[in-house]
Amino acid sequence: MKRLIAPFKTARIWVATHKLRTSFLALILVFTAPWPAKAQLVSPCCALLVAGLSSIQSALSKVVGGGLNQILDVDRAMQQFEQTVVWPQSLINQARGLVGPLQGNFNQIQSLMKIPVNSATLPVSQQLEQVLLSRDPSQIAQTTAAYTALYGPTPQATAASPQVLNMVDMTDATAQAAMKRAIEIDALADLELQAANQLNQSIQAAAPGSAPIIEAQADAWLIRANAYTQSATADLMRLRSVDLANASADIKMGAINTTNLRQALANLLQHQ
Amino acid sequence: MQVLVYSLFSLALTWLVITVSNRRRLAVMLAVVMVLVLPGAQPAQAQGGIVGAIRGVLNVINGIIQTALNAIHTVRSAMTNLQQVVVWPQQLINQARAQARQLIRQHRRLMSNIFSIKLNSATLPAPQALETVIRDHKVGNFPALTARFTNNYGATPVATAANAGDRARSDMDDALALDNLKTLKASDQVTDIELQSADAIEDSSSQAAPGSAPLLTATATTSAIQAQAVAQKLLAAELRQEAARIAHRNMHRKENATNTIQLRGVLVNLLQHQ
Repeated sequence: MKRLIAPFKTARIWVATHKLRTSFLALILVFTAPWPAKAQLVSPCCALLVAGLSSIQSALSKVVGGGLNQILDVDRAMQQFEQTVVWPQSLINQARGLVGPLQGNFNQIQSLMKIPVNSATLPVSQQLEQVLLSRDPSQIAQTTAAYTALYGPTPQATAASPQVLNMVDMTDATAQAAMKRAIEIDALADLELQAANQLNQSIQAAAPGSAPIIEAQADAWLIRANAYTQSATADLMRLRSVDLANASADIKMGAINTTNLRQALANLLQHQ
Repeated sequence: MQVLVYSLFSLALTWLVITVSNRRRLAVMLAVVMVLVLPGAQPAQAQGGIVGAIRGVLNVINGIIQTALNAIHTVRSAMTNLQQVVVWPQQLINQARAQARQLIRQHRRLMSNIFSIKLNSATLPAPQALETVIRDHKVGNFPALTARFTNNYGATPVATAANAGDRARSDMDDALALDNLKTLKASDQVTDIELQSADAIEDSSSQAAPGSAPLLTATATTSAIQAQAVAQKLLAAELRQEAARIAHRNMHRKENATNTIQLRGVLVNLLQHQ
């Protein structure tokens, strides 16, 4: 204990005998001591800091806050415009609501197009009619047999002139092809009606952003449908072309036959 | 770090104060130390750093941030302007709606009146009855159609009145004519439904917004597909009918060939007997 107290006694004696030195030492040590927190609060830099922070606050309020508020105003105006003018929810719902009643129309049209219209009464004609109205492409193969049963086969080579045989065969071929095309077109039209139905149902759950995709798909179907219509129209035109050609051929053959008959009569008269 | 430097400095200074015995030398040393240490104290440096930092922050706020915010504001204002003036101008939207309403007012009733003009032209009772039934847009009276058709065009000959081929072909011609007349009654009803759909879509378009119009367009397109399918059905019916018609004529050609062969045979036989 004495050892511990001894240095303090020595120091106290030294301090008492060297008051000036101790005072200077203390003064220097106090001045050079690092007192950052206390010194700033009471120092002039604190005022600078306050003024600086005030400037920053003011700048943040005016420049950043003001700028952001301006942007917010513009965004709010955009939002308001889009919600009331461009995409008003009520009108979107109204448009979706329209699809429901139209779906009823769609179903009604599909039902109307499936009403049986068969009218033949005799077995042979009933058989061909059944094939023709079947809407079933797998029955296309049976068309020829049913057609031949009703309209007869092409005559044998000895039964008519080659010209007549060609006409008959070409006419039968065109008529059968048209009948086959009619079965195809019926089946395709059924599929188109189904697709239109599905597309219409999907519109009921569509958003304005997804509706153009459905529309694009519908447009593609419409193009396809137009192509099938053109194909059927082409077959109809083929039928009428062959019919016209037959009428012309009848006149030509009539002229030849008349010439031949005249020649035969002339020969007969010369022999008498 | 600052505390460590200060501790070392304190120890060194204390050691000097204690060990240096010459008062004058000590005074000079302390004066030098005070001159060196006190003016160079950190607070002065700290003040300059804070001011510089504040100035830097203000420069950033007033420079980069303000410029960026101004640019964003300009762009967004331009976008709003574009949307409201160029893409979706309220005036033109209203104009389009008004145009739809005007077209409805101008044409719908007129077209409907034109389309509903009666086309019936028969003058005798039987054709009048048939004409009425084939134009009534109804599908529930097919038996009446068949009866009136038969009344006008007669029934298929009985078995003793014609050969089997002729009877079958006559039956087929009648059947296809009746099939098509029935199909046309159904398609007339479909046409009425399609016109209702078109009216509904047009009514909606007169109140539509740019955002709801795609839904209407898609609906209109699907209706167009359906109309096209129905047109194809009619075309298929016409194909069947035309095909049957030329097949029937072709049958006469085949029969003529057969008859000619038979006639030639008869004539040859006749000449041989003379």
